[in-house]
Amino acid sequence: MNALQPSPLELRLSAYIDGQADEQERHDLEALLVNDPQARALHEVLKRGADLGRRVFDDMLKEPVPLDLVRGIKNAPLPRKAVRLPHAPRPNFAFKPSAPQFLGVCLALFLVGGGIGYVVGTNPIVPEQLRFSAASASNRDWLDDIVAHYRLYSRQTNHLTEIPADRPADILEWLTTNTGVSFRIPDLSVSGLTFQGARLFAAGGVPVGQLIYRRNDGDGDPDVIAITFTKTRPEGNRSIEEIRNDTGLVTWVSPLATYMIVGPSSAADLDDIAAKAAGLL
Amino acid sequence: MSQPSPTTDIRRDIVALLPRLRRFALTLAGKAAEADDLVRGATTRAIQKSHHWKGEGRIENWLFSLIRATWADELKKRRRAGQNTVMGHDKEDRRATPSALLLPEGFASAILLTDVEGFTYTEAAAILGIPTDLLSSRLCAARLSLAAAGNETSERRA
Repeated sequence: MNALQPSPLELRLSAYIDGQADEQERHDLEALLVNDPQARALHEVLKRGADLGRRVFDDMLKEPVPLDLVRGIKNAPLPRKAVRLPHAPRPNFAFKPSAPQFLGVCLALFLVGGGIGYVVGTNPIVPEQLRFSAASASNRDWLDDIVAHYRLYSRQTNHLTEIPADRPADILEWLTTNTGVSFRIPDLSVSGLTFQGARLFAAGGVPVGQLIYRRNDGDGDPDVIAITFTKTRPEGNRSIEEIRNDTGLVTWVSPLATYMIVGPSSAADLDDIAAKAAGLL
Repeated sequence: MSQPSPTTDIRRDIVALLPRLRRFALTLAGKAAEADDLVRGATTRAIQKSHHWKGEGRIENWLFSLIRATWADELKKRRRAGQNTVMGHDKEDRRATPSALLLPEGFASAILLTDVEGFTYTEAAAILGIPTDLLSSRLCAARLSLAAAGNETSERRA
């Protein structure tokens, strides 16, 4: 056996130890372990290696942690203020109704309420389908859709984008036509990002455009960062910075669109990228 | 496993997890002094970005990912500066270093995250930023190497 490049049987037995084998595979391996002494010996070797690893690493926890490290963390400065991203302008008006206006609105509300009451009273059974669709729509979280798409495509090396970066005119036309949001492709090379291309998908039932970048540092496992945009959503009319599992999100809004930077939660500069992209889109 | 509310002071959670964070950093950096610097850098990042943490999932996943990302940044810096990025131990070092840390690069992290920390293959692969197949291959190879090293030690003793 070559420890650096395990054989297929070694790999199967190792996955079996961790319960990663499916039911058929488990049955096959259990039969093999009963009948094949060599497989049994290999299984024991793998279990012994795992036990030894556990013991070595458990012993490492007994070493004291340097006091200066603990002090450094306890006394670390509190989080800095978040980067200010552009917000949708809020209409500025004073609400001071006069007495006749107040009476008029009361009367109108009374008539509308009475009308709705009459309609509901004469048709008390709400169609089943309508109730279900309303419930499912309210449960649907468009941010979850975006995170799910990001997690699916960020692991793709050959199919990361739908339209590659060398067709910028196609990207602009395809995404502008389908999302209704006009945009430019920002050059984010100052943040070490190289534009890879674009995608179009649906999140929360509306079309969403996505510009996809990679860190161009030549590392083996580059970060994938995506700028996502859609027409302004009523429920998304605020800036959000948050982490969902291993994915980080930073959103901001303009009068016409909601934008979002999506990337790995370990990327510490998502808000800086968002601030730069907001000025270039 | 801790699942703190977003309002909890993240510094307290980090201090409670510190021995485990340091142990993971050791599997990446190989030497205690470098591992401590790595933990210092990653935890500073975590505290500064703690407003991003909303208490969803295990905080360990995020902190371990940050340590791995900070280490990757450090290696990039060293590469740009033309420094050696391969972990090495001299003879004296090797005697004092736990056997698991002498394994080829990536093996120790794989066995720590799965066999010791109890992460699934998918979670461990996400933390290390590698495909699941590569993680399972490294884990299997680490087990075989450790078992072989254990045999050699017992033979020498006999």
